[in-house]
Amino acid sequence: MRNTRLLFAVALTASIAGLSSFNAYAQQYAAVDTTNQPLSNEVCATCHGGEGQGNPVVGGPSLAGLEPWYLRKQLENFRAGIRGSQKDYIPGNEMQASVARLSDAEIDDLVNTIAGWKVIENDHTIKGDLSNGEALYANCAACHGADGEGNEALGAPGLVERNDWYMFRQIKLFKSGYRGVHPDDTAGKLMRPSAQALKSDQDVNDVLAYINSLDR
Amino acid sequence: MKKFVSRREILGLIAKAGASGAVLQASNALGIVPDSYVDIPKIPPADPSNRPSVVVLGAGVAGLTAALELKKAGYSVVVLEAAGRAGGRNMTVRHGDLIDEVGNPQICDFDDEPHMYFNAGPARIPSSHRNVLHYCKELGVELEFFINENKETYIQDDAMLDGKPIKNREFTTNARGFMAEIMAKNFTNAELDQPFDQWEVEALMRALRRIGDLDEDMLYKGSIRGGYSHGGFLEHGHALEAVALRDLLKTDLFSMALGQNEGETGPMLFQPVGGMDQIIKGFLRKLPDEVFYNVMVTSVMLQNDGIEVVYEHKGIKYKIEADYCFNSIPTHLMTGIDNNFSADYKEAMAYPRRGEAYKSAFQAKERFWEKDDIFGGISWTNQPIEQIWYPPHGMYKEKGIILSAYNYGGGMHFTQLTQEERIETAIRQGEKVHPNYRNLVEKGITIAWHRMNHMLGCSARWQKSRSGFTQEEERLFQTLRQPAGNRHYTIGDQITKHTAWQESAILSAHWAINDMLTRKSGGAMPGQRV
Repeated sequence: MRNTRLLFAVALTASIAGLSSFNAYAQQYAAVDTTNQPLSNEVCATCHGGEGQGNPVVGGPSLAGLEPWYLRKQLENFRAGIRGSQKDYIPGNEMQASVARLSDAEIDDLVNTIAGWKVIENDHTIKGDLSNGEALYANCAACHGADGEGNEALGAPGLVERNDWYMFRQIKLFKSGYRGVHPDDTAGKLMRPSAQALKSDQDVNDVLAYINSLDR
Repeated sequence: MKKFVSRREILGLIAKAGASGAVLQASNALGIVPDSYVDIPKIPPADPSNRPSVVVLGAGVAGLTAALELKKAGYSVVVLEAAGRAGGRNMTVRHGDLIDEVGNPQICDFDDEPHMYFNAGPARIPSSHRNVLHYCKELGVELEFFINENKETYIQDDAMLDGKPIKNREFTTNARGFMAEIMAKNFTNAELDQPFDQWEVEALMRALRRIGDLDEDMLYKGSIRGGYSHGGFLEHGHALEAVALRDLLKTDLFSMALGQNEGETGPMLFQPVGGMDQIIKGFLRKLPDEVFYNVMVTSVMLQNDGIEVVYEHKGIKYKIEADYCFNSIPTHLMTGIDNNFSADYKEAMAYPRRGEAYKSAFQAKERFWEKDDIFGGISWTNQPIEQIWYPPHGMYKEKGIILSAYNYGGGMHFTQLTQEERIETAIRQGEKVHPNYRNLVEKGITIAWHRMNHMLGCSARWQKSRSGFTQEEERLFQTLRQPAGNRHYTIGDQITKHTAWQESAILSAHWAINDMLTRKSGGAMPGQRV
């Protein structure tokens, strides 16, 4: 019989351990209970890019430069199904599944690790009318700050050096009710009406073009 | 009151069944046998004092093919593999193996015996896939026949016969009988338009009578080819009662019952003895020092006279320079890796859709299908599990591994379920084909290729429409097939017109090597024109 532990030592870096347990039913039929099996530490990079720079094709945004408090909150929201549990938005649902079994200690690990990543300048992919964008941004500035610096007390993340394609998708998700509708998503519930104030895709593009102009 | 259907309407219905079958076949990449010939690249031996260097990204079938051929010619070859195992989608799951699905890692707990394996990716080798068979021979991979179609398996559709499964032989015999009858009856009309002579008419009638087991009046009233209700050896055999065409037409599985025996899934198919990954093991025997595992590529940069690849291993970064790069990383992941490719090339990389194929398997506590005369083959159902495959190996052993679902397209149904839900769904749906299924199977494993770590997708799906490549898709495909800067080749089944087959992966590597040789000998200058 092959030594599975040895296989794991080779296959995986055991940086993350202590997954929540399956229920009794699963133990009867599932292959094995993977509780306490290490999870590949390379899971993040598969979707979020080799350097955490994000990958629009699979919908994984850049992680480098995310505020630790925001990253932690989102990991917790995904884990609890507050975010990403709606199955027809595939990237969100994938993210939800990916972190559903993380422990608090593992979330600490991830937040600390990602905090150390150097910020990567993102390509700007969106064009829009800067003056209209600036006017629309006044509404955003209340929470996200005049320079897009974010506001932890309000749960509003910084917006500079984020992927514009990702922000575009998120605004659309807030507008259509995929984000910001869960009763426990306090910050998201604040964001939803603000997103709805952006009436058209052109408005969204304009405000994102302005946010891009705030990048370093 | 029952609504009677005219013969013309029946013909229309049959045409409809045929048409939907054609769509199914196209989506399953079945029913056609594309041209494939063995033409191993003839690589001029490298000068030992000045060996060209190649870095291969990905140790799947395409990457290993490129590595093997280039190594044989004396090139210096390194293969970087992100996972802890080689093979890519060529994956055989056995006792103790990790299924590294993002968010749902599983470790297989099948009994530890040679025949207790599951081919989670490719599972059959058509006899027309000559290049796969060529490498099986070269690499010493022992082959056995794979049984794809078996008339003892079942056709089950909730809309047909109150959802009761019906043996494929019974379905086929009845369907064929009625179709022959209808054709015979209608032939007199056809005669008016076609100049058939008396002899031809009689020959056709004889053939139809035999094909459909029609009686003297050219009517179909059942046939022993559909199976016996009783008797057959010591007593006279009695045929099962004919099933009405009207009942058979309630399922869209018509084409699956009648059409699996031709084209790419027709006999003869092969499988390696002991699992599909014997092919990978064969390659690795010839590449003992070239493949490096758990290596994540973070950057691929074209240089003036070569290519630079940066990768990370156990938290440490390394840089490797080579003359050429053969890259089988799925293009949708390559877009998340730093590179300096042209905007056109990047656009092409971002285009193909991630394939969403899904498979699952159980360990069967006993080989219950054998008590039902089933040895290999596939049962078809209209439920999301779509297929149940019975192992064509390990006959009469105590246990076996049964494929409990294979959803090639639109497989997100299962992907989005939890592991527990996937297993329960497979059991519940399998119960409609095999009574007592729930108590006969255990230790389920699931493979959602859309979420497998380092792949995030089954075969690339280039076509947004079923009517073929659009001009735009053709342009993107050709852009991606050409080498970037004469130095970087995208390889894998992802850059072929017949994705999801190992044959395509091999041919993509051959194509890239031949293109490289042509450019070298043609005096093309390395690097990009500026």
